[in-house]
Formats: sequence, structure tokens, C-alpha cells
Amino acid sequence: MSDKKSIKFNRRNFLKFAGVAGLATGAGVMLPKDALMARSEKGSKGKKMSFDVHPGQLDDYYGFWSGGHSGEIRIIGVPSMREIHRIPVFNKECGSGWGITNESKKLLRGKDAGDTHHVHGSYKDGVYDGKYLFVNDKLNNRVARIRIDYMEVDRILEVPNIQGAHGLFPQRYPKTDWVVVNSEFQTPVPNNASNSAAFNNPQEYYGMHTIIDAERMAVVCQIQVDENCDLAATDYKGKYSMCTSYNIEKGVTISEMLASDFDYLIVFNWERIRKAMAAGKYKTINGVKILDGRMGKSDLTLRIPVPKNPHGVNISPDGKYAVCCGKVSPTTTVVELDRLDDAFAGKIKPEDCIVANPFIGLGPLHTTFDGRGNAITSVFIDSTNVKWNIAKAIEAEKGGEEAKKSNPHIVDVLDVHYQVGHIMATMAETKEADGKWLVSLNKISKDRYINVGPLKPENDQLSDITGEKIRHVHDSPTYIEPHDCIMVRRELIEPHVKHRVEMFEHPLAVTKNSVERKGNHVTVRMTANAPLFGLQEVRAKKGDKVTLIVTNHDEIVDLSNGVAISNYNINFVLGPFQTKSVTFKADKEGVFWIYCTNFCHALHLEMRMRFIVEV
Amino acid sequence: MAGLAQWKMFEHRYEFEPGDVLEASRFVEKKGYWEGYKGDELAGYVILSKEWTGKLIGYSGKHMETLIGMDADGVITGIKILFHSEPIVLIGLKEQNYLDFLQQYPGKNIRQELTIGKGISLDAVTGATVTAVVHNAIIFRSARKVASETGMIEYAKGSKQSISKKFTALTWKELLDSGGVKNIRVTSEELGIEGEDNYLDLYFGVVTVPSIGRNVIGDKYYKETIDKLQKGESAIFVVSKGEGSFKGSGFARGGIFERFSIEQQDRGYAFKDSDYSYLTEIRAEDAPSIKEGGVFIVRGDDFEAASPFKFTIVLPYRVGGKKEFKSFSVDYKIPDRFLE
Repeated sequence: MSDKKSIKFNRRNFLKFAGVAGLATGAGVMLPKDALMARSEKGSKGKKMSFDVHPGQLDDYYGFWSGGHSGEIRIIGVPSMREIHRIPVFNKECGSGWGITNESKKLLRGKDAGDTHHVHGSYKDGVYDGKYLFVNDKLNNRVARIRIDYMEVDRILEVPNIQGAHGLFPQRYPKTDWVVVNSEFQTPVPNNASNSAAFNNPQEYYGMHTIIDAERMAVVCQIQVDENCDLAATDYKGKYSMCTSYNIEKGVTISEMLASDFDYLIVFNWERIRKAMAAGKYKTINGVKILDGRMGKSDLTLRIPVPKNPHGVNISPDGKYAVCCGKVSPTTTVVELDRLDDAFAGKIKPEDCIVANPFIGLGPLHTTFDGRGNAITSVFIDSTNVKWNIAKAIEAEKGGEEAKKSNPHIVDVLDVHYQVGHIMATMAETKEADGKWLVSLNKISKDRYINVGPLKPENDQLSDITGEKIRHVHDSPTYIEPHDCIMVRRELIEPHVKHRVEMFEHPLAVTKNSVERKGNHVTVRMTANAPLFGLQEVRAKKGDKVTLIVTNHDEIVDLSNGVAISNYNINFVLGPFQTKSVTFKADKEGVFWIYCTNFCHALHLEMRMRFIVEV
Repeated sequence: MAGLAQWKMFEHRYEFEPGDVLEASRFVEKKGYWEGYKGDELAGYVILSKEWTGKLIGYSGKHMETLIGMDADGVITGIKILFHSEPIVLIGLKEQNYLDFLQQYPGKNIRQELTIGKGISLDAVTGATVTAVVHNAIIFRSARKVASETGMIEYAKGSKQSISKKFTALTWKELLDSGGVKNIRVTSEELGIEGEDNYLDLYFGVVTVPSIGRNVIGDKYYKETIDKLQKGESAIFVVSKGEGSFKGSGFARGGIFERFSIEQQDRGYAFKDSDYSYLTEIRAEDAPSIKEGGVFIVRGDDFEAASPFKFTIVLPYRVGGKKEFKSFSVDYKIPDRFLE
């Protein structure tokens, strides 16, 4: 693949790297256009959607937000934008005890820092099935699965042979059997002493497109490529997954990564991957089957050239198009997915799959959809949300440069505050995109909130997209640092979410209080039932290993108990019928109060007991 | 439950003999009650509540075992509590306040309706609403069950009809006109308080009737509700507008909705948080927006949805700094057009 001349985009539009940096620093001077909008909204008599969810009323959508380098997931009610819950994932969270309990430690395996970017739900026939969420950890290269019934992590998979685990997307059709995750950073494979010669040779660094079995949470295989693998998407027919790549140069410095005038959208052919696996065409490294997806050496992959250093790739809800964002090109690239078969078969060139290269603005990053034929793209440098019509962009492309001049595809441009990253509309990553609400996840809030010191929140801006114009209605600050989100109609999630844990899902669920000593290991089995712990005191000897297993026996909805051990740095919370355990060394003698931390009862303060460590 | 000595401090147990609640010269033990005689004449009955309404549990999660004396005409002759672990002391009451509350019952006839706010006052145990409401139900229903068992009162036979599977799209007004949705409206004026005209404007109906349920809560929610039901169970919806609340807050900690219940013959049904799912809007055309709502499953297999039942709400309100209660009931029967 070297036929650069046939690429259908305008190179004059390319921004040089210096230009990107310069614009970014000058970006804080936007006019607060929405202050005017808020006033006009009050005077308006037209029937408009309201984001105001009155006391006692419930939101229409479950918003699942990644938490960036906080390592967690958040549940935001949309359109109120109220943060309703946090799900600790790759982080240590002393409120719930995630990272403190034996159950969570077993999943975290000593790594309690993480970087979540993309949270997506499991699918059935192109719509969420309410079973799981999946999220990546770019920091420690893991993928976590969250059970929607409990809204808790149940599996964490460490993915070997990769770094910068970034783009993640579940299979959308017929259902989520596979989840793909991309490695944004190329590394030697394997990346250990057996391959140390490669450490100083970036030409021997590779990117990986990893396929994970969603039910077993095990790696199915990895497809090795020369390029890096940035954002991910899957189609609506269960045939392809894809990634954008911005470092086809195998660069290790910024200037090297920006050297080429183009990069790729790499498409992975699932049928051919299955066949190659069945035919045994793989090598095994670190226990993972690795298929060769390199250019010229593989028929598993197709490389569609796109303007240099692209970022997001998103699929239109009708399943027809992949929209690839330019990042350092002010354009998007529209790829018609029905042409991929012919391109894989060699009947057409990869670039013939491109049907439009519309101008969007400076720094397009991600695209979302309203389900009515329009795309809305986040534009980082301009700080805008740009609504454009896909059909009109394709039509204008046929007319050539002259037809494109007036940008007939652009419907509306909304200023946002400031420097938008991801963008998402309600249900937009499903075939039931409903075009109701849009969230612009802005990276910089600057002057939008009272000053809280040098470290300021991000700014999520909510807009009504039911009309032709995007109508910005609400700002909400977020703590470090959501990257991406999905917004799911309430009725797709709510019926699956439980009020109580199934008590005996935990093999150690306690029904009878006891203290058992085996050698120097003391096991305490205890119930919690507000306002009482099942035991009034527990004794151990200094130096003993102590395992404390506690089950909450209160069946009342929302009646949680906390278990904290003074001076032992232990706290965790138990929902109704939930069991958790901790193991620690009784390394300090004395009397230590174990007390309930989660307000439970009028006698909550009296809900305490002694842990006596004898000399 | 932590079956422990610690729980004992919340428990109160009293010794008893049948003569404590009924004057009689001899007692003949029957299943769950005693017949008391003065010579050869039947003086009345002594009832052990646990045998009749053992499933009714209070704030503590336990049944309040009660000994009930009732003469041959249905007049209560005495009440004695035998066991409870209600945390009365937690809300600043003494055990004696609880016992005083129960002393309102002697002299009342169980043929009449006895609810909090209508015949029974909460004055002695203000604040302990869950305990009082449940205990009232224990006394009233245990006595009525025995009255029915002994032939003192008779109930109509159960309905032969069953709910029609047919569905008709109906607006909110049509649902109200049909009688499939009933209304209780309590004005501020009749409570003697300042405020909006309607202190509580409440609507309810049987959700399991397709022409009611699907119109009120929508097809998807209707199906989910039906799928959740065990054999013999039904479900009702309750929604309200106005300053007052039918849900109250007792369910938050105690798990029991203490303000409303339904009653069919000698059977009463209270609702727990595990019977409840959220309802925030009525789907039917022309329906008003609501402030509170819920779909509530009627547990057990003895509720006959096609037969008449009574819906009762015990509504607390404040006059100055004082909490008052008033009870309101309305009879409900699924209209014939929805039955077959």
C-alpha cells in the first residue's frame, strides 16, 4: 500500500504540529455564547426539552462515564447530569473498600492505579442487552467487565503483549461474544529479556488488535501490526472491527510520529481471523495466540489511508458508514462499510471505500450521530460541536472541490467551553440512536466554575439536539477525567439492576458467627444486621494472621453496613446480603474498635465491637 | 439474623393465660384460639395473633404476638401483648406508651372498621407509625379471621370471574370513567390546614388488567411487571399529586409502606419495599404529571383481583406543630368490561 496520490483529501488543509500547539494555548478567549441562550430560553414559549428533573422524578437515561486516570466508572443521570454512583474499577476506593477487600484484591492483583477511557455496554442485535459494561485500562493494560445487575466489577483481564490499551469496543451483532481492545503504544513482542535486542530498535515494536472472549474474559487472539492501534469500532453486521492508527511511522518522538502525510484506518476481517485461527496460523507468545496482520504479509487486515494522525472512528447507527476524524486534518473521512468486502477481495482499492472527506473544523476528534442522518463531530482546537449531514457530504464529494467549497453539509456549529474531547449523543452507539441529548466532554473548564485552585474540573456540556440547531442547556463539572461516555435509555438497564445481592453467590457467606483458630491464623465469620455486629468482641494474639468475613443480613433496600477497624487501615461497605472479607496481620497490640461506617440505624453509632489484640 | 444474646435487649416477652383478656369460667382450646364459657354459655374467644396473622411484621422485622379477647358479638374484651421487639425506645417512647396504645381496643367492635385515624388514635405512640399500623392490622385481622372461622361474620363467596386478556386503548379520562382507576382526593380544607386545594390527589388501580396496566404504565413496563409475578400474585399501581405523600418514609428504613394498604374480606395486604418498583409517569393520554408513584405487588396467592377490595390510606398531616392522622378508604372492583 503506497499509492498515496489517489487519496481523496486535500493536503493543503493539513496542519503542522507547531500550529496545533499555538492554537491550543490561545483557546481561552471564547465568548460565552450560552449565557445569551439561557436568557432566551426563559422567554421562549416553544415546547423545548427540559434537562430539569424535579425532586422525586427520575432521569430518562443511564449515563456511563469513564473516569480517566481516576481509574473508575461513573453513573450519571441524563438529562439532569447528576452523578448518581461511582463504580471503582482499577483504583483503590476506601469508601466501598475496593482495593481493601480480599475479593477486590484478587481482581486487582496489586495494581490499584488505572486509566479508564472507553466504557461500552454488551450488545444484542445492535442495542444494549443490559448485561455487562466493559472498560479499558490504558495504564496497566487491562480490560474490566462490570456486571450491570450489581454495578460491580466481576472480572479483570490483564492483556499480555500490549501497552497503551486504548480503543475498546464490543461486538454489536448478533451479540457480544467478542470485545476488541487496541494498543496505542507499540512495543517489542515479547517485551522481556528474551527479546532484549529489540529494546533499542523501534522497527521491532508492534501494535496489537486484541480480541477478547466477553463471557470467559480471556484473550482469543491478537493481530500483530506494525502500526499503533488507537480508537476502536465494530460494525453492525458482526464482520469487522477497526482501528485508527496515527503512528504508521513507528516513531518514538512526536516529530517522527508526524512524519507521514497520511495514516490508516485498519480494518480487521473476522471471518478470515477465525479461519486463520482454525488453520493454526499463529504463534504463541506469553500464552496468547498471535496472528500476523502486517501489511503485505496478511490478508486479515485492510488499510484505508486517511489524513495524517487521525483519532476517533465511529459507525453511523444505520451501519453504513465509519467516520474517521482527522485530528490534525480539519476533515473527517467517511468510509462506506458495504465496500469493504470488495476491497478485501482486491476488487477495489482500499481508498475506494472512502465516499467523502468533508471539512469540519480545526482538530476534529470524535463523531456521534442523531439517528436522522446527521453526524456531530467534536472539534478540539476550534472548541466546537459541528453538526453535519452525511448524505450531503457524500453528495458534495461527488461534485468535486467546487461543490464542496460552500460546505453544504454543515448544519450548525456550537461553541463549547473549552477544548472538547469525546462527544456522545443518547443511544448513538446503537441502531436506536434517538437524537435527543448530546454531551460534549470538554477537557478544560477554565472560567466556567468558581475557582478551586490550580487543578480545575473538566466541563461536560449538555445540549438538546432535537431541533436543527444544537441547543446548549447545561454545564456540569467532572473530576479527573472522563474521556468517553454512553447514554442508555433507562428501560434497557433498570430492569436488570438488583436491589440485593444473591447471598450465596459468595462461597463464604456467613450465616453463623464463629471464631476459628488454625495455628496462628484466626478466621472470624460474622454477620452484620443494623445496629448489631454478630459478635461483641474478637480476640487475636499479636502476630496472628486474621481473616474477617462479614455478611450483611439486612434485606431492606439501601440498608448497607460499613465495617472499619480502627488504626488498622481497613474499611469496606456491604450492601444488603453482601459478603466481603479482609485478611491482615494483627501487628499492633491493644483494644481496637470495629465500627459501622455506613449510616444504618438510629443506633448506628452504637454499632461497634472490640477487636482485642493480646500481647 | 444474628441469633445472639445482644438482640435480647430489644425483646419484650410477657407471660399470659387466656383469662387475661376474657372473663370466663372455663376455656376450651381450639386451633389458634380458645372458646371461653360462663357456665354453658359462650362468653367469647381468646385469640393468639401469631396463628392468624404471623406474617404481619413490624419495624423490627418480627411479628408482634398479641392475645386478643373478643366476646360473642365481636366486641374486643381485652388485649395483651405477649412478645415484641419493636424499637419503641429509640424514638423516645416508653414501653408503657405502647401498652397504653393497645388499651384503646377493648370495647371496640371488630364488625366496624378499625384503622389508625378512624377509631384508633396514635396519640400514645406518636412517631411509631409503622408499629401502630401493623399492630392495628394484627389485632383487627386476627379477630376478623376468627369471627369468620366461627361463623360470627360471613363473607361473600369469591368471584367466579377472571381478568380479561383483551386490551382496549383508553385515555386517562376513560380509565377514570370506567372505574378501573379510582381516586381519593383529600383537600387541605377538610384537614383544616393551609395549603394547596388538594393536599393529596391519589389514583390507583389493578395493573394486571391489560386495559388498565398497559394504558397506565406502558406496554414494556406492563410486561416486565407481569413477568415478575409469582403464581397467584397481582399488582396495583398508586400515583399521587399534591403536597401530601402516600409513600411516606417508613419504607426507607423499616421496609414497610405504613400509610396505605388494601383489604379483602378478612385478609389485609401491606406492602414492603421488595414489592415496590418505581413509577414516575402515567403513559395514558391526557394523564396529569404525578409527584409520586409506584407499582406494588400483592404477595401471596389468596388475593382475588377480580373480587372487591378496599384501599385505605392513613394520612399524617401537621396542624401547627402537632402531627394528626386521618384515614380514607375507597372500595374498588375491577369493572365488568375488563372481566370475563
